[in-house]
Order: sequence, then C-alpha cells, then structure tokens
Amino acid sequence: MASSYQSRPDQKASTAPLIHFASNNWNDAHDLDASDEDEAFYTADDDYLIHPKWQAMAIRTKNRIPRRIQRYFFIYIVLLIVSYVAWRVYLGPQWEHNREEVRKMDAELKEVYGQNVRHEFTDTIQLKTLDRELVPGAHEGNENRRLIFIGDVHGCREELEDLLKRVDFQESDDHLIFTGDMIAKGPDSPGVISLAQKYSASCVRGNHEDRVILSITEMDAHHVPLPGPEEDPSKMNDFMDEESFSHGDFKVRKLAKQLSKEQIQYLKECPLILKVGNVEGTGEMATVHGGLIPGIPLEEQDPFQCMNMRSIDLDTHIPKEDHSATPWEKFWNHRQKKLDPAERLTVVYGHDSKRGKNIKKYSKGLDTGCVNGGKLTALVVESGKESVISVSCKNYK
Amino acid sequence: MILFFLLLNFLLIFQSRLSQASPRVWKRDADIESLRGLTTANGDHSGKAGDPKGKYFHESTFHPHYDGRFAETVLSDPSIRRTHLTSLAQTYLRTMREIGAETWLMHGSLLGWWWNRRIMPWDSDIDVQVSERSIAFLAEYYNMTVHHFDIPASAEGPGKEKGRNYLLEVNPYYKNGSTDDWLNVIDARWIDMETGLFIDITTLRRNRTAEEEGIYGHMMCKDKHKYRENDIFSLRDSIFEGVPVKIPYAYTKLLEEEYGADALTKTEFERHHFEMENMEWVPDTDSPE
Repeated sequence: MASSYQSRPDQKASTAPLIHFASNNWNDAHDLDASDEDEAFYTADDDYLIHPKWQAMAIRTKNRIPRRIQRYFFIYIVLLIVSYVAWRVYLGPQWEHNREEVRKMDAELKEVYGQNVRHEFTDTIQLKTLDRELVPGAHEGNENRRLIFIGDVHGCREELEDLLKRVDFQESDDHLIFTGDMIAKGPDSPGVISLAQKYSASCVRGNHEDRVILSITEMDAHHVPLPGPEEDPSKMNDFMDEESFSHGDFKVRKLAKQLSKEQIQYLKECPLILKVGNVEGTGEMATVHGGLIPGIPLEEQDPFQCMNMRSIDLDTHIPKEDHSATPWEKFWNHRQKKLDPAERLTVVYGHDSKRGKNIKKYSKGLDTGCVNGGKLTALVVESGKESVISVSCKNYK
Repeated sequence: MILFFLLLNFLLIFQSRLSQASPRVWKRDADIESLRGLTTANGDHSGKAGDPKGKYFHESTFHPHYDGRFAETVLSDPSIRRTHLTSLAQTYLRTMREIGAETWLMHGSLLGWWWNRRIMPWDSDIDVQVSERSIAFLAEYYNMTVHHFDIPASAEGPGKEKGRNYLLEVNPYYKNGSTDDWLNVIDARWIDMETGLFIDITTLRRNRTAEEEGIYGHMMCKDKHKYRENDIFSLRDSIFEGVPVKIPYAYTKLLEEEYGADALTKTEFERHHFEMENMEWVPDTDSPE
C-alpha cells in the first residue's frame, strides 16, 4: 500500500495545501512496482525460511528430545527409507504372490488336469495296501511296532546298514518302507535290493526303478540281440551299432544286467503308491516316490507324475519335473487342511534332494542326497510318535 | 576249333564285363503299373505327375491324406472314415509288434491316447514314429509287403467280405537323414489298399548335427521335430484302440510342450466335449454345423 502515493516533499520548501502535491503519476505502472525502498525494507525479513518465532519453538522442542535420539535421527530416516524400498521391491510382491498362491490353491477349477482316462502300463502296479498287521497300533498286541520309511538310497548299501543300526532296527518289530530310487548312481544297487528282500521290506517305484524295468522289457522284446562282449564290433552294420548305443540308456542296461531275476521281480512288484493305512497319532498315511496331485483319488493318479513331479502349476494342476512352479507339497498341505480330518492323508516321499529333509504336517520329504555325499534319512513312525534320523554318506559322485 | 572256342570265350567274357560296367537302371518307385492286380482303382490319381522328381511318396489328386493309386474319391461319411482309420491303426500296430519293429504314437494320436486311448473323432490321420534300426529292418525285409487281415470290410461292394489288405512301403530315401531332403520327410507308409487311407511313418534319428557339436542325447525327425532321447526312451506298453501300443517315456511332458497345457485340461475341442462318465469325446448337439 505504501507505494501507491508519492513521497512527501520537503515541508519547509512549501506552504501550499497538501492537495497541490497530488499528481497522476501513480497511473504510471513502472513507478508503482519499482519501489526500491519497499524491497529493501522486506529483504531483511525474508532472509530466514522459518519465522524466528517458529524457530525458537523448534529449538525448545529439540532441547527436550534426548541427545542420543537426536544423534541417530539421520539413521532412523535412512532405515525408514530402506524398509520402504524393501517392501516395494521385495516383500510387497512376495506377500502379494503368497496371497495369490493361496487364492489359487483354494480355487475350485473346472477345467483341470486329470479328467482323462487313468493310464495303465504293463508291469506297473498302481496301488497296494500295507498289511494291517504291520501298522503300529492297528490292533491290540502291535502297539510296539514301528514303521521305518527310508529316503532315496541309490545303491548306498553301507550307509543303509549304518542307518538301520542307528535306528536300532529289530526285524521282529519293525517294518521297512523304501520311498523309491533304491538303486542306480551308487556303488551297490544289487546289495540294497538283497537287503530289502531279506527284511521283506515294502517299497514304491522310483523313476530309476522305472527306467530299469522298462529297459529290461525293451531288451527282451527286440528281434536282434544286443551285441555281446565276445562279438567283433567291426562285424556289425551301422544300424546295430547305433542301436546298441542308442536310447542313451547304456548305464541303465548295465545296471539291469547286474540284477538277478528275483531282484527284478522284487522291483516290478513295488507299486507306484503304497497305502500304509491309519497310524495312531498321524492318521492315514501313504508313500509315493515323487508326489501326488491333490483332489485326485490314489487309484487315478498318473503313473509318470507319481514318480517324477517336484512342483505343480496352480492354474492347470499339471505337475512339473523341475522346481519351476509351486512345490507340490505346499499345495498338498494346503488342501489337506481344508479337508475333513478323517479324509486327510500324510504322504511320505523322496525324489527331491534339492529341498532335502522337508517335514511338514501332511508331507514328509526324505531324500537328503545320500549318493552325492549328503545324508540318508529315515522317518520312524510309532504309535503316537514320529522321529527323523539321519546318517552321513560318502560322496559317490 | 580252338580258335573258335577262344573267340567264344572272349565274347562271353567281354559281354559279361560290358553288362557289369553299365549301371542297371533300378526303378525307384511303385507306380500304378507295377501294382496291377493289387488295386481296384481304374486310373492313376496318385498325384505323381504334379510332384517334383525327387519326391517318393505322392498325395492323391483329390485329398492329401489318401493314396491315389488305391482310391479315386474320399470317404465322405465321417463315421465310416473313422472305422477305416481305426482298422488302419490296429493292423499297423499289430503287424509291427508281430515282426518286432519298434514303433510308438506321437502328436495327435498320442493326445488321443492320453485322453481315452482312442483316436480323437476329429483327427484325420495317425502319427507314429519308428527307431532308426526299425526302419532299416523294415526296408531290408518288409518293403512292399502286403499284409492280409481277416477283419470284416465295412464298405459295401463285391469281394469286400474277403478281408483287408495293407501295404507297407518304405521310402528308399530313408537312408538320407538330412532335413535338407524336404521332399522325403516321410520314411514309410502303411496303406489301406481298399480306401487309400494311410499312416505316415517317420523315423526318429540321432541328431548328428548336434553330436558334431558335442551335444549328445538329442533326437530329430526329417520333418524337423526335435526331442530329447530321455523323453522318448524307454518306451512304455499301453493300449490304443484296443491293441497293444508303445508310448514315449515322458508322455505328458511331450504333449504339454507340443500342444500347451490347455490340451490336457480343456474338455471342449472342435465342437466335441469330453464326458468323464464313459471317457468319450461326444459331438456337441447344439453345434450350428
């Protein structure tokens, strides 16, 4: 407002009435805005961002806060920023992913894997049920019985013997159940089968047993025999030579030749799934090598998937051999908890040495990579009690 | 006298030399002339005339899934066609099993097997593969053999109640395993001599190009399909259209790779839906066509 009139002239120089000093100069815009005096007057006030009154108040407040907290104030800010970034970049998406996974696991899909006819193959038994006599607490007199599930042995006979000693295996009271892949890779596959036969152990078929059995059938079926060691390799025509190396299963065939007829028969009689029955304290139990798809009866489970799955796609329920989708046991556990307690099933399995010992309420993963220098693991199930015991292995890789 | 014998001897030797030296021209294909008495077709509809010179198998002039040396028209009734297709598959699988040639289902037929062990109603052909040793075995011992089956001929007409004949024909170019030979991607055919329907047989070969680069365990066909050896072998024994059949080791994985997850979960395809009660593909009744 001060700039809207002219400064008053020297009082002494004039006696004319004040009105006479009034001019129309104020109409000139330049003069109006460019008042140096005004600017000079206000610059001092504009020097500080915060009004001195507020500044004083801030200092008073600051003095009340302990020195240590003041000192760490900067660090607190940094931590806050870090946690915010972590949430946005990592935790948030993961939380979202988990929520999405749970939603998918709960979803009742209409068009889902497993509506086709159940596949049957020769020399393959889908399902067997364990003799009730062997189940702990099944009836009076067998309360002291134990079931000993053993993960992928892969021909490590010495380690298997160590493990049996460690669990104090008693032939009269205990029953052995192998979760598949007893053979291949390791040093003494025939020895492991002999031991299993000696104790009338139960078993399920693993992917390695499957390859050996299929390979034996293939060798038996061919119209031209495989070249024997005495035969002159130069005598053979190209195609025989190719075939003898073909199918990439030379190792498998070599292993198959080490096994006796009785041992092969033992392997052939291992079902894909073994129904253990109701164990006091644990409930219904079953054994399979790879895994199971929730919502499909044991009789209808796909043979290949039983032996080979590691994860499962939640949109289609198609299992995968690798870890690219949701772990099958995660889906299995989630679905079991939704079922009526009487319908729930605990699965003991092997095959997944990458995840190793993996004990959950309704799934017990026992493959701890013995043949690669890991451990050999047993799950001991007694009436109302279960425990996991391992022994170390040599590396046979 | 001696001179005469010498001259005769010389002539004989010279003649034999001459005949050995000049290359004999082998006829490479079985045209309609050479099949006289085996076919009821009156004219040649093989489509040979329009094909490039190096192509061994020909598709008929009226439909690519018929052999024009044995038929003159398509089977118009889809249910009759399907019966013939089923017999074709059954006779092929039985024959291969009997003679010990290794063969297995692939592609659409494998998907049909996966759903209900049958040919899918809308599938127009049957896909099989054989091993390298098997194709050599078939070429050496069974090429151009006619196989007779005492199955009732479904088609009407005289002489049809006497059973059915099938021809196994091997493409001599099977020895050339290169994908550059794109005219001969089919290594053999199993041909219904009554209807002209056939099964294309392709050989699964070791991928020698990959082996040269030091990569082993890979297989290929001349039609450029590629597979891992461990996914195909060892084969499994199952049933297809009521007869024993071989199935590749990792059947689900192969199907998912080729057709996607949908093919294993969707129950509606090509105006058919899958009924789980009888495990059957049933045509949609309300379909517009």
